[in-house]
Amino acid sequence: MDYWKSKEQRLEEDRIDELLELTWMLIEDGEATVDNIAGKSEDPLASSLLKDIESFGLISIDHHSGKVAFKESGERRAEQIIRRHRIAERLLSEVFEVEERQMEDHACELEHTHVLGQVVVDSICTFLGHPPTCPHGKVIPRGECCKKFSQDVKPLVGALTDLRIGEEAKIVFISSKYHARLDRLSSLGIIPGSVIRLHQKQPTYVIRIGETELALDKDLAKEIFVKKI
Amino acid sequence: MHHHGTEAIKAGEKIIIVGNPNVGKSVIFGLLTGRYADVSNYPGTTVTLTTGSYHMGGVDTLVIDTPGVNTLIPMSEDEVVTRDILINEPVKQIVQVVDAKNLSRGLVISIQLVEMGLPFVLVLNMWDEANSRGINIDVEKLAAAIGTTVIPTVGVERKGLKELREALYKRSFPSIAINYGGAIENGIKRLESLLPEVNISKRAISLMLLAGDESLKPWLKGHVGINDIPKIESIRRDIQDKYYEPLGYIINQIRLKRCEKIIGDVLSKNQTDRSPITVHLGNWAMHPVWGIPVLLAVLFLTYEFVGVFGAQTLVDLLEHKLFGSYINPSMTRVVTLLIPDTFFRDLLIGEYGIITMALTYSIAIILPIVGTFFIAFGLLEDSGYLPRLAMMVNKIFKLMGLHGKAALPMVLGLGCDTMATLTARIMETRKERVIVTLLLALGVPCSAQLGVILGMLGGISFHVTLLWIFIVVLVLFLVGFMASKVIKGESSDFVFDIPPFRVPILTNILFKTLSRIKWYLKEAVPLFILGTLILFTLDKTGVLEVIEAVASPIVVGFLGLPQKATDAFLIGFLRRDYGAAGLYALAEAGELNPNQILVSLVTITLFVPCVANSMVMIKERGLKTAAAITAFIFPFAFLVGGVLNFVLNGFGIKL
Repeated sequence: MDYWKSKEQRLEEDRIDELLELTWMLIEDGEATVDNIAGKSEDPLASSLLKDIESFGLISIDHHSGKVAFKESGERRAEQIIRRHRIAERLLSEVFEVEERQMEDHACELEHTHVLGQVVVDSICTFLGHPPTCPHGKVIPRGECCKKFSQDVKPLVGALTDLRIGEEAKIVFISSKYHARLDRLSSLGIIPGSVIRLHQKQPTYVIRIGETELALDKDLAKEIFVKKI
Repeated sequence: MHHHGTEAIKAGEKIIIVGNPNVGKSVIFGLLTGRYADVSNYPGTTVTLTTGSYHMGGVDTLVIDTPGVNTLIPMSEDEVVTRDILINEPVKQIVQVVDAKNLSRGLVISIQLVEMGLPFVLVLNMWDEANSRGINIDVEKLAAAIGTTVIPTVGVERKGLKELREALYKRSFPSIAINYGGAIENGIKRLESLLPEVNISKRAISLMLLAGDESLKPWLKGHVGINDIPKIESIRRDIQDKYYEPLGYIINQIRLKRCEKIIGDVLSKNQTDRSPITVHLGNWAMHPVWGIPVLLAVLFLTYEFVGVFGAQTLVDLLEHKLFGSYINPSMTRVVTLLIPDTFFRDLLIGEYGIITMALTYSIAIILPIVGTFFIAFGLLEDSGYLPRLAMMVNKIFKLMGLHGKAALPMVLGLGCDTMATLTARIMETRKERVIVTLLLALGVPCSAQLGVILGMLGGISFHVTLLWIFIVVLVLFLVGFMASKVIKGESSDFVFDIPPFRVPILTNILFKTLSRIKWYLKEAVPLFILGTLILFTLDKTGVLEVIEAVASPIVVGFLGLPQKATDAFLIGFLRRDYGAAGLYALAEAGELNPNQILVSLVTITLFVPCVANSMVMIKERGLKTAAAITAFIFPFAFLVGGVLNFVLNGFGIKL
C-alpha cells in the first residue's frame, strides 16, 4: 500500500483513478471520447488531466475523432479500480444490504488502492464466491483468486451445490455463459433475490421456490450462487 | 391419445385460454365448452391446440386451449404454438389461468399480456390448494393492481364457473406500465418504428425481438421489409452490447421484480405445519433410495391389473365365454344359413374373417386389455407420479443425449406412440426430438400392443415379463446411446416442474378412460378390419403362401418361429398391436413355446411403427428423417429377434 505517499500525491492519484474508471465505463458503452469524459466527470479540470494521463502513457487519444483508448498499463490500472469498485458494491449489497444510493457513494470511496489492497480485494472476492457481475449486471474483471477459484476463505456466497439438504438460501447471482440457460431459469422464477430451499440432491437436484418444486441438473445447480439465510 | 383433431381455425374473434404449464387450462376449457380435453397432472399434456365452442350472447364463439407457457418468449415448439396464436388470431377475450399458489409465475405472463394490449380475465385456479397451504390472496386488491377481473376457481369442482362466464362478457384492457430503463426503452422505440400494425402491440413485439426470440424469424419475414430485418438485428445487438447479461434475462428479471411487488401487497401467508400424506408419497416417489421400490411397486401393480386381471380374467370372459361360446358360434350359424357362397362366408367367419378375426381380436382380446391399461395409466397421470419418474431416470436419459423430460413422451408412448411423437415437441432441441421420435418408433409398445404382450407373458411368468422389459429397455438404451453420438446437434438443460402429488379424481379418470376407449374403437377397429381384408385377399389369391415361403428363411430359419407367424408380422405393418394379437392367437393355439413367444414378442415390439405413427413422424420430423428411422428399424427388429433366438438356443435356455 502507498502509506509513504504524501496526501497531495494521494489526492492526485485518486483523481487519476476516477478518470480512468470513468473512461473504462464509457469504453464499455462504446462512448469514450474526450468530450464525453470531460462532460461526465466531476473533476473540473478533467480535460487537462486527460492530457496529463496521456503523457504518462496510460491512454491514447485520437486527436481527430476525440476517441479515447487504453494503453496497456492504463488498462491494467483501470481494471483494478473497476474490480475494487464492483467487488465493493457486491460486498455492500450482499453482506450489509446497503441501499442502492448509499452503496454507490461507499463503493466510490473503497475503490482506491490505499483503502482496499489487492489481497483484501481477493479475499472479499473469494468470500463472495467470485461473483462475475456487480449488482447492476456489469462485469467484474477477474482477479488471480477467480482463476484459481480459491476457497481459502470460507465463502459467504457459495454454489447451490454446497448447501445442505433442507437449507434455505437467497440467490445472489447466476454465473452462466449460456444465454438460453439464464432465460429458462428466469422464466421459472430463478433470479437473483429469489429465496429457495434445497429439497434433495439425488438423483437430481430438487429445489423449492415459492410453492413450486423444480428438478434441475447438477450442471445448472453449480452455476446458481446463493447466500444462506 | 389426445384425439381431438386440431381442426382448421375458423375466422372471427376467439376466446383463448393461456397460462403456465399444469395449472388446469384444459379443465377450464372443458367447463366452458363441454368438450373433454385431455387433463393430467404433469406439464405438457396439451402440445397442440384444442378447439371447442362456447355459446356467448347468441353466437357460438370459438374457444382455443393452448399448450402451457412460462413466458411468451418461447423456448420449445409447444410454446411457439401458444405465442403464434396470440400474434395471429383476433381475440375476443383471453382467459389466463393461474395456479393460485404460484401467483408470481402467472403474473409474469399477465404482464406480457398487458404489454401486448390484449383483454383478459385472470382465473386463480386451484384456489383450494392455495388455501390449504395457508396462502391468502386479496382478490379485489389484485384486480385493482392489474386492472382486470380476477376470479378464484376450483376447476375440478366447478367452483367459480358462474363468475367466469359472466366475466367473459366484460373486456377490460388492463394497464401495468413497466419501465425497462433507458437503453432498453430506447431500443423499443427504435424497433417500434420498423414494425407493422398487427393484433398485438408493437411494444410487446419489440421486447420479444430484444430478448432475442429466434422463433419470431419466420413471422418477421412475412411482416417486415427485407431490408429491415438486418436493421432489427443490429438494433438488438446495439442494446445488448450495453449489458453483460442477456437482454431476455434482464427483461424477465424486471418483470419478476414487478410481480413480487404486486404480490407483496395482495398476498399473505399463514403458517400451516400439517402436511398431508400425499406430500410424503410424492417425496418417496422421487427419493434416491425409496424411489426404486416405489417404481417396482408401480410396475408390479400395473402388471397385476393389466397383465393378469385385464389380459387373463377379462379376456377369458370376453374371448372364450362371450365370443367363443356365444357370438362366434351363433354368427357362424346365422352366416352359414344366410350366405351359401363359401367365399363371402369366409370373409365373415373364415380363418381371416371379419368377425372371427378382426372383431374377436379387437373387441375380445385388445379392448379389455387397453381398457384396464387406460385406467391404470390415467391413475398414474393424475397422481403426479410421471414427472417424478422423469426425475428418477434423468441420469440414464443423459447418456442418450436426452434428459429426464424425455421420459414423458416415452411413457406417453405406452399409451399411443402417435400422440407421444407429437409430445416430443416439449423437447427443446432438434437432436432431442429426433432421438425421442426414433426411440418411440423403435421400441415403445403402445397400450394395445403392451396389453396383448403382457397378456401373453402373463401366461408364462412374471420373470419372463421382466426379461422382456429388460431386453427392450436395453435395446432402447443402446440405440439411444448410439443415436446421441451419430445425430448432430445440442442437448438442452434439465429444469423441470414437479407438480404436487394428488389423489386422482375418479370422474376425470372415468372420462379419460371412456374417451380413450372411444378413440380406440374409432381408430383401431377400422384398421383391424382393413388388415383382415388384406390378409383375406392375400390368402384367397394365394399370394399369402408365396410371402410366407419367401419370408420363411427369416421367420423360420433366423427367428426360429413357425411359418404362420409371418401373418402376424404382415398385419404388424398396419398396427403393431394387431400383429401382437396375431401372435397371441398363435400362442393360445399352442403353436409357440415360451422361447418362441419371447423372441416373437421382442421382434414385434421393435417392429415398424404403425401407419398413423408414420404419418405423424413425417409431419413432425420431415419425410427424410421419418424414412431414415423406418429404414433402420425394419431390419434392426429382425436382427435383435434373431440374435435373441440364437442366444437362447445357443445356451440351451428353456424359459
